[in-house]
Amino acid sequence: MAIAATTGLDNTVERPGERAPLVLGNTTYHTITESVSSIAEQPPSKLWVLGFLVSASLASMFGLLIAYLIYNGVGVWGNRDPVFWGWPIVNFVFWVGIGHAGTLISAILFLFRQEWRTSINRAAEAMTIFAVVCAGTFPGIHVGRAWLAYWLAPYPSLNLWMWPQFRSPLLWDVFAVSTYGTVSLLFWYMGMVPDLATFRDRSKNKWRRMAYGILALGWCGSSRHWMRYEKAYALLAALAAPLVLSVHTIVSFDFAVSQVPGWHTTIFPPYFVAGAIFSGFAMVLTLMIPSRSIFKLEHLITVRHLENMCKIILATGSIVGLAYGTEFFIAWYGQVPAEQFAFINRAFGPYWWAYWTMITCNVISPQLFWFKRMRTDPVLIFIVTIFVNIGMWFERFVIVITSLSRDYLPSAWGYFSPTWVDWGMLIGSFGLFFTLFMLFCRFMPIINMAETKATLAHQLRHASHHVTEH
Amino acid sequence: MSDSNNQSTHGMMAEFDSVDSLLAAARRIRDAGYTKIDAYTPFAVHGIDDALGIKPTKLPWITLTGGVIGALTALAMQIWMNSINYPYIISGKPYISLPAFIPVAFELTILFASFGSFFGMLALNRLPRFSNPVFTNPRFDLATDDKFFLYVDAKDARYDGEGVARLLGDSGAASVDPVVEDETPTEVPKIFFTLAGVLAMVAIIPVLVVAMMRVTTSSQPRFHVFYDMDFSPAKDAQQVTTLFADGRVMRPDVPGTVIRSEDGFDIDFQTGVDMEALAAMDPARAEHLVRLVAQAPADEAAPADEAAGDQVADAQAAGGASEPVDNTPWLQDNPLEVDAELLATGQEKFNIYCAVCHGVSGRGTGLVHLRAQRIQSPTWVQPSSLHQDILYANNYADGKLFSVITNGIRKMPGYGAQISASDRWAIVAYVRALQLSQNAEESDVPAGQRAAVAQAE
Ligand code: HEC
Repeated sequence: MAIAATTGLDNTVERPGERAPLVLGNTTYHTITESVSSIAEQPPSKLWVLGFLVSASLASMFGLLIAYLIYNGVGVWGNRDPVFWGWPIVNFVFWVGIGHAGTLISAILFLFRQEWRTSINRAAEAMTIFAVVCAGTFPGIHVGRAWLAYWLAPYPSLNLWMWPQFRSPLLWDVFAVSTYGTVSLLFWYMGMVPDLATFRDRSKNKWRRMAYGILALGWCGSSRHWMRYEKAYALLAALAAPLVLSVHTIVSFDFAVSQVPGWHTTIFPPYFVAGAIFSGFAMVLTLMIPSRSIFKLEHLITVRHLENMCKIILATGSIVGLAYGTEFFIAWYGQVPAEQFAFINRAFGPYWWAYWTMITCNVISPQLFWFKRMRTDPVLIFIVTIFVNIGMWFERFVIVITSLSRDYLPSAWGYFSPTWVDWGMLIGSFGLFFTLFMLFCRFMPIINMAETKATLAHQLRHASHHVTEH
Repeated sequence: MSDSNNQSTHGMMAEFDSVDSLLAAARRIRDAGYTKIDAYTPFAVHGIDDALGIKPTKLPWITLTGGVIGALTALAMQIWMNSINYPYIISGKPYISLPAFIPVAFELTILFASFGSFFGMLALNRLPRFSNPVFTNPRFDLATDDKFFLYVDAKDARYDGEGVARLLGDSGAASVDPVVEDETPTEVPKIFFTLAGVLAMVAIIPVLVVAMMRVTTSSQPRFHVFYDMDFSPAKDAQQVTTLFADGRVMRPDVPGTVIRSEDGFDIDFQTGVDMEALAAMDPARAEHLVRLVAQAPADEAAPADEAAGDQVADAQAAGGASEPVDNTPWLQDNPLEVDAELLATGQEKFNIYCAVCHGVSGRGTGLVHLRAQRIQSPTWVQPSSLHQDILYANNYADGKLFSVITNGIRKMPGYGAQISASDRWAIVAYVRALQLSQNAEESDVPAGQRAAVAQAE
């Protein structure tokens, strides 16, 4: 019988010549099915209901605020001359950034054959999609007349008699974010099809069986299907990997292609991508650490998984820190007064508090992950990731607000203050995000069962080889 | 097994407990010469393709085709939309600026290639397929949990029911069952049709409403979901507003407001009329003029002043052809001190405003007149020559000339709205100088300057 007897093993220790197990405990194929499916089959726990009620009410508040905004116009935000890109754009970039980890884990780690990704990729992909939903909302309502947002699409218009302007980074953004959303959705859904079939086959109730049956598209696990499926998965991963890098690159063009001091820099694309991965991984951990203990999945999402993600956070956090330093260096080295002023103003101007919050959270806090103790204690990791989330929001705040509020003309300077609607929408977008994520946890397979079983099969084969060799 | 039995069975399905036993059995069945075989597993099993002899898929080619179509679509779309159908010039880039078209081309390449992989995979796998005979055996539910199944199709040339079952049993299968036809009805439950019907009915209502609105007329104003900029919230002069406590749309001057014009305010200066004298002669007209002029800031006095000019014109018209009766007490002299500076201003303004019609020399042969002659305009009246006896200072008061500039006369339009009062007086001074210049004797030129004039000629 297929059993991985690794109870009580510390899989964060490296033993030369041996692969650290990624599935712990007395785990069999069936227990994997059990522990993942039962989450969706049992009645929801009180904790879930409570969490869902809170986030759903925040999400409804978001909806109401959007209606309020559309009814009254964008004046209800704090966007005022000279800061016309206020919190909505800060939130947009923040959420798009969050949405990078999912596809990165699924695609790039898949291509690099990092098997530890299997038990976290599903939830990370879901998170990606929900983050992109939140992200897409903001530019949609930021266009002012939100009911005309479809003007962004290149369609033959009888009103305008013209086409979108394809040389504008803002239009590239439309294509990048929507392509990213679509491909991530395909990738996520395709990855779920075999697991949805598992849900279908376990359903006792006719309607449930029908619903999951339709979602599973009649998946039967035929080896021919698996072969094409795996090929399609690899192809999608290969396509999604450059896509993921392109998306935040293009988002950074929104800034870099303009001529505002502090924005007009060539370092933006790599710096934004590193920041996106950094924030995305932090958000994955923020979600996974509570989920794994609530849903009792510690044997599948092991400490080693957490540790690996911490290492990525450490690496990308350091890249981000380096980028902050480089910006200052180039401002000094480039000798452009406006640019120099922009950076001095960031650190010591009226928004110094935002800048130093950003530095503390993004540059200093991830450095704690040099210590193994920090990387292996879920509670400590959780705390650090919260800091990273805050820091990355502030990074976008610093970029958008400080540069805009100090334009070339001192007579046009101003100080940005958010309104209650700004606050409500930021909080509401978190509500939407968590609502979607909790629904996902409740109704969808939150761990890729098929792949985890394959990992287990691999691990078992290795184990038996070892036995025969000795 | 009999033939009739063979028809209702699709093949033979064997269940295994582990990957290894499945692989071993698969190899054995294949070695026995069976080709139409398949395995059903909860995850992609390593090595099963070899064991079953599954050929590689052509899916990558579908993906590649998708990608190529995406790239071409994006480039064609951008070039056609931004360079051909509606050419934009953006930051001096060429119409077909490929580097700027790369991002969208890249995104669409990825998008179409991804569609190719996903939908290509579904198509090659013939999914979605909801009714499949393999699902008839309840144990098959475990194929997505922890059991492994090996299947031999009845269409295989070597298929012989019991023999296959025995071979599978010998290969270590936990159980072997024939796969029978799926007897459950395949049609979609009625409720779905009912629901779909109701949904379609509801969905069609807005379309019908729009269609009806399109073909019928209505006395009601257009229905606006969003106002966009169809209505201007700006108020008209005499309307009421809730914006201000006094409810007035027109705002009185803020206390202490200073007139912007440099002229200060002097009714005679603004009208060219000796108002006190007029008040003595015709109090009603004087009062009227004062009220009109006083209400507007000095610069905009002209329209209100029109009354004076009109009256002049009326009087002249009424007075018959030869002797127009005009008893208005015009100011006889220019109220401004006439010096070289004023004349220079006057010359500048005259050349700007008057010379186009009256000519630089004032003989009534300006460019507009020449053009009117060239095109033989039937309605054109030649601008008067300013060098006529009746227009000279002794016959034509300065105040009257000022009023002509301000309000116009007969065919000539008024320039009060364009030229400030002091500039109008400057023009008056200049016109006087011009008139003098055309009739001057050498003795009129100051002795010191005669040499210069002689030289100029
Ligand atoms: C658009 C062409 C036009 C311009 C510009 C114009 N005038 Fe005239 N002006 C005329 C015409 C035409 C008449 C003759 C009107 C008639 O007889 O119906 C006239 C007549 C006159 C007269 C004779 C009035 C009278 O009582 O017979 C004077 C003086 C005069 N213009 C001065 C000026 C001065 C000074 C300016 C510059 C501020 C000026 N005009 C600009 C077209 C023009």
